[in-house]
Amino acid sequence: MKNGTIITIDNLVKRFPIGGGHFTALEDINLKIETGEFTGLVGPSGSGKTTMLNIIGSLDNPSEGDVIVMDTSMRGISAKRASTLRKQHLGFIFQTYNLMQVYTVYENVEFPLLLLKMTSSGRKKAVLNALEWVGLTDKIKSKPKQLSGGESQRVAIARAMVKRPQMVLADEPTANLDAENSHHILRTMEKLNKELNTTFLFATHDDKVIKYMRRIIRLEDGKVVADNLVKN
Amino acid sequence: MLRFFIKGLIRDRQRSLLPIIVVSLGVMLAVLMQAWITGILGDIIDFNSKFATGHVKIMSQAYNDIKDQKPNDLALMKASDFMSKLKLKYPDMIWVERIGFGGLIDSPDENGETREQGPAMGMAVDLLSEESHEVERLSLQNNLVRGELPDSYDEVLLSEVFSQRLKVNPGDQVTLITSTMYGAMSITNFTVSGTIKFGAPVLDRGGILADISGIRMAMDMEDTVGEILGYFIDGEYDDEKAEAFSNLFNLANTDPDDTFSPVMVKLSDQDDLLSGYLDMVGYMQSIIISIFLAAMAIVLWNAGLLGGLRRYGEMGLRMAIGEHKGHIYRSLISESLIIGIVGSVVGTAIGLFFARLLENGMDFSDMLEGSTMMMSGIYKAKITPETYYIGFIPGILATVFGAALAGIGIYKRQTAQLFKELQA
Repeated sequence: MKNGTIITIDNLVKRFPIGGGHFTALEDINLKIETGEFTGLVGPSGSGKTTMLNIIGSLDNPSEGDVIVMDTSMRGISAKRASTLRKQHLGFIFQTYNLMQVYTVYENVEFPLLLLKMTSSGRKKAVLNALEWVGLTDKIKSKPKQLSGGESQRVAIARAMVKRPQMVLADEPTANLDAENSHHILRTMEKLNKELNTTFLFATHDDKVIKYMRRIIRLEDGKVVADNLVKN
Repeated sequence: MLRFFIKGLIRDRQRSLLPIIVVSLGVMLAVLMQAWITGILGDIIDFNSKFATGHVKIMSQAYNDIKDQKPNDLALMKASDFMSKLKLKYPDMIWVERIGFGGLIDSPDENGETREQGPAMGMAVDLLSEESHEVERLSLQNNLVRGELPDSYDEVLLSEVFSQRLKVNPGDQVTLITSTMYGAMSITNFTVSGTIKFGAPVLDRGGILADISGIRMAMDMEDTVGEILGYFIDGEYDDEKAEAFSNLFNLANTDPDDTFSPVMVKLSDQDDLLSGYLDMVGYMQSIIISIFLAAMAIVLWNAGLLGGLRRYGEMGLRMAIGEHKGHIYRSLISESLIIGIVGSVVGTAIGLFFARLLENGMDFSDMLEGSTMMMSGIYKAKITPETYYIGFIPGILATVFGAALAGIGIYKRQTAQLFKELQA
C-alpha cells in the first residue's frame, strides 16, 4: 500500500440541531493523517471523538469545512458513493463487537467479501487468513454466543480486516474487555498495522489503548487541544 | 448473497418461524372462509334451483306477476306441445314440469273423521315417467326417512316432520283439500308412500311431494303446467349465460300484449330475497377478504416493524460494512416474499385440509327451524380452483406490504442514527 495522506480534515465544523438551536460537536478541526498511522482520537465523553470517526467513516456529513478520505470529499457525498467507500476501503470495529448472532464465526467474517462479490474460493482463502491473523481458526464453526468477549472482538477485527481495507476505524474497541484481552486485541491490531500497513484510527479514552498509539490527537469540547507523536 | 440471507432467515426463528405461523394462520382462515362461503352459496343456488327455480323458469306472464301465490289458474296451456318444442329447440337444456300448490292436509282417524289437519306447501314433479330424472335431481331416495317413493299417481311423500305432526305413517291415507285451476274446491285422497327429510326447514315444516299426474287430476290441470324449469346441461348455474338465454327466449316468445304468453326468468331474478342474499354473500366475501387483507397487512407491518427494530443493530452494521440502504431494503422485501410464499403454501395446505373435512357439511338445521328461506340446513364447504390460490393474494401481498412499510422506517433513518443504535 502506497504511503501518503489518507485523511485531510480542513476547517471541519459539525453541529447538531437541539431544540431551536444547535449544539457544536466539532469546531474548526484541521488535521492530516498519513497512511499506516496508528492514531488515537483521545478525550473524555462528549469531546467529539465518535462524531469525527463517523464523518471520516462517511456515516455522517460535515456541517462546514471538509474531510477528504482517500481523495473522496465527505461534503455532500452521496449515500451510494459512501457505501462503496466503506465497502471497499474501510473497516469498522465497535465497542460491542456487533457480530451477527445467527451466523457462525466464518460467516460473520465472510460477509464483507460477499458484498464485494468475491468468488467462493477467494472468500474462503481470505476468511481463513483473517481468522489465522487473530488466532481463531479453531472457532470457525462457533456461533458468537459461544465466544468470550475477547474472542468476539477478535472476530470483529478479522471481519474488519478480511477485505484488506486501507483504514480501520475502531470506536472504543476495548471498552468491554478486561486488561489481558485488551492487550491481546491491541497487539493483534498493532501487528496487522505493521504487516499490512493498514491505517488504524481509534476513538478512545482507555489508557490501555492510548499506550499503544503512535500518535495521539487529544480532543476537548469539540476542539483539538493537542496532537503529539509518541516515541515507543 | 441470497443464500447467506436465507441461511440467516432459517436460523433466526423470530424472523422466519413466527411470521410464517402468522401468515399460515391468516391464509388458512382465508382459504377456509372462501371454501365455506362458496360451499354455502353453491348449496343455496343448487338447492333453490333443484326445488324451486331451475336455472331458468318459464311461466305465463300473468303467473309470473304473482308467482309467490302459485296461481295455477294462470298456468301455461298445451303443456305437452310446448315441452316438445322446448326440447327440440333447446336440446342443450334439461326441461322439467312442476306444479306448485298449497292446501290443507287432513289425516282421518279410523272412523274417517278428521284427526289432524295442517297447511301444506306442495310440489308436483314427474316421478313416474321413465325418462324423468327428478328422483335423482331431488335426491329423494337418499332423503327418504320411512316407507318408499310413490309408484302411482295417487301416492305422495310427506315431510317427516309434517307426518309426525299429522300422526301419519307410510301406508296411511291423507286428504288434500285445495282448489282446481278453475277455482272449484278439490278434495282428493292420497296414500302416503313414505316420509322424507327435504333438508330445508321451510319445506320440512309442511312439505308434500306428489307425482305431477296425480296433482293434474286433483286440480283439473290436464295438459297445463304452472312452471317449466330449465337446467343447463352441465348442472352449473351461470348468471351471465342465464341472462343471455332468457333475453333471447323472451325476445322470440314473449308477447307484451298477451299476458298468457310465456316468459323466461333466470334464477337470480326470481326471488328478491334470494337475489339479495346472493349479492350480499358476494359482497360479504369481498369485504371479508379485503378486511382480512388489511388486518393481516397491519399485523405483518407491526411484526416487520418489531423485527426491524430488533434488527436496527444488524442494519447499522451492514451499512457500516458497506451495504447500500437500497440493498438492505430489497433484502427485507425478498425475505418477506419468501415468508409470504412459504406461509401461503403451508396455510393453503392446512386450509384445504379443513375445507376437505367440511365438505361433508355441518348440520345447522336446528338453528334454522323458523327460517322461511329455501336453503339447506347443512352447510358444506366447497373446494374450487380458486380455493387453491385465493390465500396467496393476502398471504404474499400483506407480507410484502407489511415489510415494505416497516422497511421505509429503516430506509428513512439516517445512517449515523442507525450507527448510533448499533453502538447502543
